[in-house]
Formats: sequence, structure tokens, C-alpha cells
Amino acid sequence: MRARWALVAGVLAALAIPAAAAATPDVTFDQDKVAVVLGDKFTLQTRVTNSGRAPTDLLLAHLNVASLTSDVYVDPEDWSSRRTQELGPLAPGESTTLTWDIQAVNAGRFDIYVVVLPNGAASAGHGPLTVSPPAYVRVAGRRTLDAGGALPVVVVVPVLLGLAAGVSRFRLRRGA
Amino acid sequence: MIAAVHERVGAGENATRAREPGWWLVAGQECRDLWVSGRGPVLIFAFSVLLSVITYLTATNQVLNFLEQREAVNLTLQVAVAVGVLVTLVVSADAVSGERERGTLESLLLTPVSRRGIVLGKLAAALSLWFAAFVVAVPYVWVLGRGVSVVVPALALGLGVGTLLALALAALGLLLSTVSSSNKVSLAVSLFLLLALFAPTQLPTGAPQGWIGDVLVRVNPVAAALHYVSAVLVNGRGWTRDLSYLISPVVLVLLAGGVLVAAAPRIVRLHGGVSGS
Repeated sequence: MRARWALVAGVLAALAIPAAAAATPDVTFDQDKVAVVLGDKFTLQTRVTNSGRAPTDLLLAHLNVASLTSDVYVDPEDWSSRRTQELGPLAPGESTTLTWDIQAVNAGRFDIYVVVLPNGAASAGHGPLTVSPPAYVRVAGRRTLDAGGALPVVVVVPVLLGLAAGVSRFRLRRGA
Repeated sequence: MIAAVHERVGAGENATRAREPGWWLVAGQECRDLWVSGRGPVLIFAFSVLLSVITYLTATNQVLNFLEQREAVNLTLQVAVAVGVLVTLVVSADAVSGERERGTLESLLLTPVSRRGIVLGKLAAALSLWFAAFVVAVPYVWVLGRGVSVVVPALALGLGVGTLLALALAALGLLLSTVSSSNKVSLAVSLFLLLALFAPTQLPTGAPQGWIGDVLVRVNPVAAALHYVSAVLVNGRGWTRDLSYLISPVVLVLLAGGVLVAAAPRIVRLHGGVSGS
């Protein structure tokens, strides 16, 4: 009976080792809330830690932006020109920090999150994926330019020049 | 134009006029042709409509509205310089080949004005279009840049860099116009050249470039000049820090202008093309 239990324990242990090898890294942001004004540039950092007992495979980290309101369309490419970063294998307990340069190009409420995918020869395309907790970003709108002040100029200048060109043509034709 | 130059130079309008250099007389008459009876006013009107649209969109569009004021001024200034230089190039590319096709070059060559004087006069007249475009751009830059101390530096930059670029491309256009076999060829080659030079300036700024990208920007006179404008206006760099970016426009002025002036007696002739008689 004892031998049978030992066999079961051995099998479970053997099953547990691949589970440990497949342990995925932990991903966290350095800030969980950010408040900025439209057009502001800010930086978020994510810490990727291998808390498992085996080294990770090659990894790929991908930044994404999701609007929390349905009326705001988000194109994440506008927010950051470099949204994908490759990571080398992480040894057990090792961690690395990724920096994301971001510009708030829409006003509203957003969640920014990072997905880490396995990217090794054998693991790519199989997962599992690790998703960070979201960083909540509130972007306040602003108007930096005075549209009202611009209106007289954008109307008056072409009208004056058009009149001048028209009068010039008219006088030329009359003269001819 | 020809008759007028003949009258004023050949017949010796008066003692003062007779002492005026030939290029000055050609420039004066070309300017009158361009601005009184030509397409100058229409081109400048179209230019102002374009700047109005750009300025209004920059000031009101919700998507563009996050732009900093400096970036908005930079955007408008770059469009003003680009289009101002474009119209200057178009006029200069028509200068000699157009006269040749209209059959008026022969009469011009018979005036006592030297051929160098003719090309210099035409160059000066083409540049008048750039200066008019710059004057038109002033209120747009002012309306976008007021409130921050960016209007004066922007206008000074636009005038300096834009004039350098206009001079370089006008000399190039005039050179192409003198050697082209037809006006169509001259205009087509000039426009293609301008588009080829402007295309790299539209690449996304966030794209990694490396040293090859930097070299390509530096050797392209248009990209280098606009890069210098952005560096000073948006990034707040000192006026002298990125001055090396202006080397290629200066080299183009010296090359195209030098060849034009040196070779004018041989290349300004009735038949265009390198192998023409």
C-alpha cells in the first residue's frame, strides 16, 4: 500500500514538473492610475518577473489600449509607436523592466495593459498568455488653439487675395 | 516681356535706366509679367486658400487639437515653405523652356542683355513668388503662434530656411529649363524631383532611422532644411546646434547656381537639350 502511494506521489510529482516549467511570468505596472491632459506624453513601466521554478522561454510583450467608453475609438498605434518588445528567457526569480513611451491622443477613460506571450521555437503560438493588471488612464480634453481667433484670418486673407487677383484680371481684360 | 526689354535697353529709355544692370531690367519686366498679367496673383490666392484650410483644421480639428502650439506653428510653416518653394520651382522651370516654346526666346536673346543677366533676372523674378508666399504666410503663423514666444523665431526661420530652399530649387528649375528639350519635360522633371525630395519628409518621425536614415535626411536638401526648422522650433534646440543640416541646401545653391551662371552663355539658346545645336 505504501509503495502504491509512493508511485502515485511520484506520478503527481512528475506531472507537476512540466507545470512548473510552464509557469508564466508575472507582469505588473509601476502605476495603476494615470491622469493626463490630451496630447501629454507619459511613460509606463512594466516589471516582468519569473516567479516560477524553471526558466521561461523567449517572451514577447505587447502593449494595448482599450477605451472604457463606447464613443471613443482608440487606435493603439497612435498612442505608442513601439508597442511590442522582445524579452530573453528569464531565469527563476529573475525580473526585467520594460519602458513604454505613450502619448494620450484621445480624451476619455482608458485601460492600458500588457500581454506577455511565449515566443520560443516550440512555445510560440501555444500560450499561455500572461496579462498584466490594467493601468487606468484618465485623459482630460483641452483646447490649445483659439479657433475663433483663427477664423477671421483664414477667411479674410484668401478673400482679399482673391479680390486682388480678380480685379487684376478684370483690368487686364478691359485694357486688352 | 521681350518688346519691353528691347524698348528699355535697346532704345535707351533714359540715361538712368541705361545704367541699370541687365539682370535688373529682366527681373523687373519678368515680375511685371508674373504679377500684372501672369499667374502670380492666382497662384498666391490658391496658396492662401491652402494655408487657410491647414490653419483652420489645425485650430479646430479635435484630433489635431492636442498638438502643442509650437507643433501647430511648425506644421503650418512647413506647409508654407513646401508649397511656396513648389510654386517658385514651377515658375522657374517654365522660365527658359516656356519662352523657347512660345517663340519669344529669340527676341530676348537679341536684346543687349547678357545671357547671365537673363537667367539672373528670371531667377530673381521666380524668387519674388516665394517672398510673396512668405508674406501671405505671416498672418497664419501669427494667429497660431501668438501667446507663446514662437512667432518671431518661426518667421525668421521660415524666411531664412525658406529663402535658401527657394533659391536652391529655383536655380535647379532654371537649370533644368535651359537644358530641357521641351517645356513639358522641364516641368515634369522638376515636379518629379520636388516630389522625390519631399517624400522622405512624410515618413513617420517615430520610425527608427539609424545612421543611414540620418545620412539620407542630411543629403536631401528639402528634408534637411525642414528637419532644421523642426529641431529649432519644436525641440527647442539652439540655432547653431543643427546648423550642419543646412549644408546640403547651401551646396545645392552653390552647385545649381554656379553651373547656371557659369554655363549660361552656352546653355541659354534657342534649342534645348544637351545635344541640341
